[in-house]
Amino acid sequence: MNSDKVVNGIGALLVLLGVLVALTSWFIFPVCEMHGLYTETKTGTKLPMPCGYTARAETGIGALIVLAGGLLIVRGTRETRQAVGVFSVATGVLVILYPTFLVGMCKLADHPCRQLTLPALEILGIIVIIIGGYLVWKKGVNE
Amino acid sequence: MNRPSDFRFLSLVARNLKNRPYRNIATIFAIAVIAATFFSSQYLMNGAQQSLDAGISRMGADILVVPEGYAGAGQTIILAGTPTSFFFEDSGFEKISRIPGVAKASPQIYIATLFASCCAAPVQMIAIDPERDFTIGTWLKENPDITLGKDDIIIGSSIIQNVGNDLMFYGHAFHVVGVLEKTGMGVDNAVFTRFEDAYVMAAESGEKAEKKLTIPQGQVSAVLVKVDPGTPPATVASEIMAQVPGTKTILPSGLLNAVSGQLGATTRILSVSSLAVAVVSVPLLGIISMMVAHERRKEVAILRALGATKSFVVQLMLAESFTLAIIGGCIGIGVSVGILVMYNDFIMHTLKIPFIIPSPTVILVQGVSALFLSIVVGGIASLYPVVLITRSEPYETIRGGE
Repeated sequence: MNSDKVVNGIGALLVLLGVLVALTSWFIFPVCEMHGLYTETKTGTKLPMPCGYTARAETGIGALIVLAGGLLIVRGTRETRQAVGVFSVATGVLVILYPTFLVGMCKLADHPCRQLTLPALEILGIIVIIIGGYLVWKKGVNE
Repeated sequence: MNRPSDFRFLSLVARNLKNRPYRNIATIFAIAVIAATFFSSQYLMNGAQQSLDAGISRMGADILVVPEGYAGAGQTIILAGTPTSFFFEDSGFEKISRIPGVAKASPQIYIATLFASCCAAPVQMIAIDPERDFTIGTWLKENPDITLGKDDIIIGSSIIQNVGNDLMFYGHAFHVVGVLEKTGMGVDNAVFTRFEDAYVMAAESGEKAEKKLTIPQGQVSAVLVKVDPGTPPATVASEIMAQVPGTKTILPSGLLNAVSGQLGATTRILSVSSLAVAVVSVPLLGIISMMVAHERRKEVAILRALGATKSFVVQLMLAESFTLAIIGGCIGIGVSVGILVMYNDFIMHTLKIPFIIPSPTVILVQGVSALFLSIVVGGIASLYPVVLITRSEPYETIRGGE
């Protein structure tokens, strides 16, 4: 398989992963508010739980990963590969950090966000990091 | 032929593996699946066993006596912490203390709370007598600076609140003075308070809570029993049921059987899958190795013609098989650990079993045994091709294609 096809394949994979990161929290393994669970203030206002804010952040990060993948498909030069590689590693780290440290999920182990959304996002984050690392490493090897 | 240096030998192994990427990927995948299924079933059984040990050690009792008809509910409270309220006449309690073989007996009241701010679902409140109780008593002895005073509670690890803060149950504010260590069992989802405070909470609930709580005066839900050293708990349990009618006893061995039963279906699926994958994979891997061996007959013959001994060729082929087995095993085990640890909460709630992540040492031992199994499978699969190649004559093989 020639190098261009591999790069295009990786770009398409990144687009797919970005879509998954963006949609996981809402449709694939929905967070608590999609199950009708909200935090209620004393005035009776319903607010999203922490997982709801994480889901919003993940949607944004997912969109950025889609853009990075698209860029790799459109322009797969060495510089782009390296830039997308570094960017993917960074976004992959963010995909993991948002639900674990930056915003977090609900604290209770029986909430759907903890049981399914969190591990799914962690796995997606790890895959994005591995792909980003491969892009950075591949450039180094070629040179 | 001089004995090759390790570096050259390993380079040759690496180069041979690199030349057949797709077959090797298939082999690695098959071995990874075997290692993953074997490791997963071991991991689940050990996690449940460790959780059960920790939970029973926390319970501190040899026998739990509950009203007849509530054995299932009592078991569920211990294993999963599913909140339930039930009572029996405590007149039996005094009788239980006097039964031969009973060293200590301590009553408990189980109250299922209403929804609380801490938690997504009601939790199990357990009222105890701190002087006599040995569930929390042991823990309190280990933490001498903590005392269970008026309106104080000690909470399980799954109850979200920090020490020093308050939690409200039935409109009554309780002060959190301690958090118990995680056991993976029902106690994680329980809060412990004193009898007196539970009675006050019940009395006030008519005005303060959405639903009135009734705790019948003079009645308890369960009695925890510690037997005299050397006395079999099963004998004492039978004696309790005979002497105190209307009671049912729960023993740790019974809990273990219940967990094994709950976990049985899952481990059976994993074991059968493991066996099925092994049964399919070993011949498959053998066929793949045999195809490679047939392809490589000339290569091996040339090696032999150049002076390589039979044992060198055998070593080379076994090293290739073992390398694939080790890579496959490591991938299978690594992926399993990652997924099982990340989906720990999901597994626990779906299988409805007590479960904690096994200790790193246990995981390491399980990983090594799964890796050993992968190597054995890889070794068995390569036996026939090795025999085939070593039996062939180099001269005939090289001339064979002419």
